[in-house]
Amino acid sequence: MTEVAVTGVGVVSALGHGKAAFWTGLVDGVSGLRPIRRFAVPAGAPILGGEVPPIAVTDVVRSAIGRRIDWVSLLALTACRLALDDAGLDPARLDPARTGLGLGSAWGNLQETAVFLDRLFARGAGNPLLFPNLVFNAPLSYASIELGITGATAMLAAQEASGEAAIAWGADVIGDGAADVCLAGGAEELSPVAHQVLRETQQMTSGVPRPLDPAAEGACPGEGAGVLVLEPLARARARGARVYARLVASPGGSVPAPVHGWPRAPEALAALLGPLVGDADLLVAAASGNPALDGVEAAALATALGGRRTPVTSIRGAIGDFGAAGALAAAAAALAIDAGLVPPTLGLVPPARAGLDVVVGAARRAPVRVAVVDGLARGGLCCPLRLEAA
Amino acid sequence: MTSTIAITGLGAVSAVGGDVPALSDALREGRCGIAPLTLFRYRGRSSVAAEVRATIAVPDALPVATVRRLSRPDRFAFAAASEACRDAGLDPALRRAAALTLGATTGGMFESEEVYRRRQAGEAQRFRLSRLLGTSLTTAASVVAQTLGIHGPQATVSTACSSSALAIALAADAIHRGRARVALAVGTDSLCRLTYAGFDALQALDPEPCRPFDAGRKGLSLGEGAGALVLEDAAHAHARGAKPRALLVGHAGGTDAHHVTAPHPDGAGAHAALRGALAAACLPADAIDYVNAHGSGTRQNDAVEVAVLRAVLGSRLARVPISSTKSQIGHTLGAAGALEAVVTVLALEGGVLPPTLGLREADPGFGQLDLVPTPGRRSPIGVAASSSYGFGGHNVTLILARGDGR
Repeated sequence: MTEVAVTGVGVVSALGHGKAAFWTGLVDGVSGLRPIRRFAVPAGAPILGGEVPPIAVTDVVRSAIGRRIDWVSLLALTACRLALDDAGLDPARLDPARTGLGLGSAWGNLQETAVFLDRLFARGAGNPLLFPNLVFNAPLSYASIELGITGATAMLAAQEASGEAAIAWGADVIGDGAADVCLAGGAEELSPVAHQVLRETQQMTSGVPRPLDPAAEGACPGEGAGVLVLEPLARARARGARVYARLVASPGGSVPAPVHGWPRAPEALAALLGPLVGDADLLVAAASGNPALDGVEAAALATALGGRRTPVTSIRGAIGDFGAAGALAAAAAALAIDAGLVPPTLGLVPPARAGLDVVVGAARRAPVRVAVVDGLARGGLCCPLRLEAA
Repeated sequence: MTSTIAITGLGAVSAVGGDVPALSDALREGRCGIAPLTLFRYRGRSSVAAEVRATIAVPDALPVATVRRLSRPDRFAFAAASEACRDAGLDPALRRAAALTLGATTGGMFESEEVYRRRQAGEAQRFRLSRLLGTSLTTAASVVAQTLGIHGPQATVSTACSSSALAIALAADAIHRGRARVALAVGTDSLCRLTYAGFDALQALDPEPCRPFDAGRKGLSLGEGAGALVLEDAAHAHARGAKPRALLVGHAGGTDAHHVTAPHPDGAGAHAALRGALAAACLPADAIDYVNAHGSGTRQNDAVEVAVLRAVLGSRLARVPISSTKSQIGHTLGAAGALEAVVTVLALEGGVLPPTLGLREADPGFGQLDLVPTPGRRSPIGVAASSSYGFGGHNVTLILARGDGR
């Protein structure tokens, strides 16, 4: 297996555009959650959301796709460009057939789907200009066209772990020697449709989210995209690239769980995660403030750690919860290894669930040689990522 | 990366029946599953589709409330996956460690549309958007994993019409990498208004049952269903006495990076996929005895596909039998790669090549082709290619060979 290096980080989130805004915000304990502005939230409903500041299409799109590109695809493409730029790679100089692209999303383009169907039910005809944006792999198609990528490509869906799933896929592409460069990450939008779904199912907190806090009562919706540049470690070294971390692909798996919900018993999750977390210096949790997730995750991590006081953090308190948030968690893990700094979990008032050592308040300075993103998702999915200092 | 991959189990749900024997019979009889659309009301250029009419068993291991929320593709996937696991004789221990890959494009969209329709109609009392929560693309894999107890590595992929060909490729990769000895690959999709109206708006639907490669072809016919294949390290299959129904000897993908709906005019990505799959199989192009084409029936697709085949197979193309299974079971989108792989395995196994229905006069622009006419042809073959071209330019080719190695 070829060793896999993370050489670029591209992020757009409620903390802003780019790696610096993301990392500085996380480390300084800044919350990106604000009253939602892009659409009207009904009176009495939770108003906070993690919206990405507007992106000018012309800043990231140079080809004809700019006329039609949807918001999810634009988020993904922006993160791809930022990641390549961060890695010091010019898309025009990549070998197209030796470049891969993997993107994850839990829901895709829910909002324009609603627009398309409203017109269909009202007028009996579909809009041919809108339809291509509703195909689930639209972000993958747009980004491959815009960046001229003709190598291995895949769009993945894994509920809350959609970002991790795509990054794991990308690690395998590089690991197999099937590409010289692979962009991998995920994108998700915050839309009125998604907001209504969360309202109806009472998954949102009325205040700020409190990941891993026993008193948490729900998550806060967010959006964003995170993309990593992955390369063979030897190739990255040879070109003098900055290597944030090595990425070790983990097989992951699933555990018994309700089809539409969270696992209830932590033991099987702990067994899956145990071999990965034993020597970890940092665990980046999926915890969002959703009690069903946070409860089982905290118990599983505590069991897997077996009494070790390994620092834990979750970024969903700062940027909100969404299907591709795990891609940003992986970005945070890479940056934590690089900086020797663990960003705090916003919203948590200690003690944390299951007695975990969750970093709160100020960022904690500590060498991070191994960071694990646990990649938990509904339906019992577990798509963990393990990053190691290079 | 040197394991030989055996296919030891098959499952299928399609417009011609609820299992593999029904599909096999229909292929032999040249029966067409494309008929007037009844699943929903739609007034447009086309009004035919390949609907699943067979009764599909629901998983009895799930709570009633969960079963009520299952979408059509969830049910199709469960039925096809169950059949494939039974066929392969996978016991609970083998299933538990197996990898699971699934390709799909619209998840529970058909069920979601009813929610959107009620919203549009102002039936506020009876619509809850939260019904959408049961309709994510990932749910079908969760249903299969949780009901059949498959807890190895899991991935759901969506690259339009090549989704489940990619799922098969990823299942093989999981075995090659040593992550699993057994992997279940599934493709599933249901007809829905979104894709039906979308393809119709793009003028991609034939008003009549589709006629791939015909001079008068007018587009594709949408279908639905699920295909499932159990892939297994051949040594593992041999050791437990499981007979390979076929071998997956090579696979590769290729991306067009050209247009969100139209294929690359030269079929660049499809060409790379076919060449790459042959290279992975260590086989020359001459080794291909049969092509189970993507063959969607659109003017553009079929022209590009023939050009790609001619570029790779050269003058020998005139003598290589080709058929499009989409003429029988429609274009099942996310399920197409898996269902067509099942059909290709059946052709290798039985030595009977399925026909392309509806073919009256082959497009003269394609030159000399051996398009298998109705009702199919008895002809033993050793190696077959199955290609899937996806919307947005994501193409995958699988190279399959006879299970007995002949």
